[in-house]
Amino acid sequence: MAIAESCVDAVVMEMVAVYCGGLYAAKPELAARRIEAIGFQVGHQLSERYTMERPRFSDHLEAIKFICKDFWSELFKKQIDNLKTNHRGTFVLQDNRFRWLTRVSLDPYTENRDSTENDSAALGDTAAQTTTMLLYFPCGLIRGALTNLGIPCSVSADMSNLPACSFVVRIKT
Amino acid sequence: MASTACFVIIVSKNDIPIYEAEVGSAPKKEDLSYHHQFILHAALDVVQDLAWTTNAMSLKSVDRFNDLVVSVYVTAGHTRFMLLHDSRSEDGIKSFFQEVHELYIKIFLNPLYLPGSRITSSHFDTKVRALARKYL
Repeated sequence: MAIAESCVDAVVMEMVAVYCGGLYAAKPELAARRIEAIGFQVGHQLSERYTMERPRFSDHLEAIKFICKDFWSELFKKQIDNLKTNHRGTFVLQDNRFRWLTRVSLDPYTENRDSTENDSAALGDTAAQTTTMLLYFPCGLIRGALTNLGIPCSVSADMSNLPACSFVVRIKT
Repeated sequence: MASTACFVIIVSKNDIPIYEAEVGSAPKKEDLSYHHQFILHAALDVVQDLAWTTNAMSLKSVDRFNDLVVSVYVTAGHTRFMLLHDSRSEDGIKSFFQEVHELYIKIFLNPLYLPGSRITSSHFDTKVRALARKYL
């Protein structure tokens, strides 16, 4: 299991590196869309797999709860810590220790002690940008899973307090 | 006991038939495939209504035509497995659907398979027919 998890970590990081640093180096928006589309397909298929043993969902909240509990447990070995909703089609899923961000560092000083202040700022920006790109894949996972369950939606991520991460799900009507 | 012909179809979320098979042995006096297709496709309207009244995956027999019965199994992604048969053991049919669901998921998780497209794997076809002989 640990080996499989390391493989997933490495594949996700390499995907981000290839799309951002290689294929779409000059077009970050296109790289983001492509990474999200890959996540969408994976989520679409995984939700079919994980719903095999359970009854079908009768409303949106049940499907969201499935994502927070079973889907998240299968992928990240823990449940979502907090679920909020405004009862008008928006849900906020908060994971206080998002597994795929626990090894991401935003402190450039530990890697480049001799950098000047300007260089540090640049490194910080690059690190933040990379982390943002990393989150497009889980956003696609959630959107793909919910779309397969009949809930078209858009998903965005907020990573203000690493390693905590919030996913905002807006259901389309 | 002489087994009667059964007809299995899998319909994807967007009402596209992705798999069809005539299973079981029956004297082929005439080609009844289209007749069976009409019955199953007509039953889709019943499934559309019934699916909302329960969250169970197995809808059991949803429709009837003379002495033929339609049993249906609906997944969370709204893929429908439909079976046309005469009166048979409900447990066997349910087990058959569950096993086919497992086979379907293996196809579905293949990254080269386009969700919603026709299943053309001969291995899948062989397995489904084997399951039909086992459970039906």
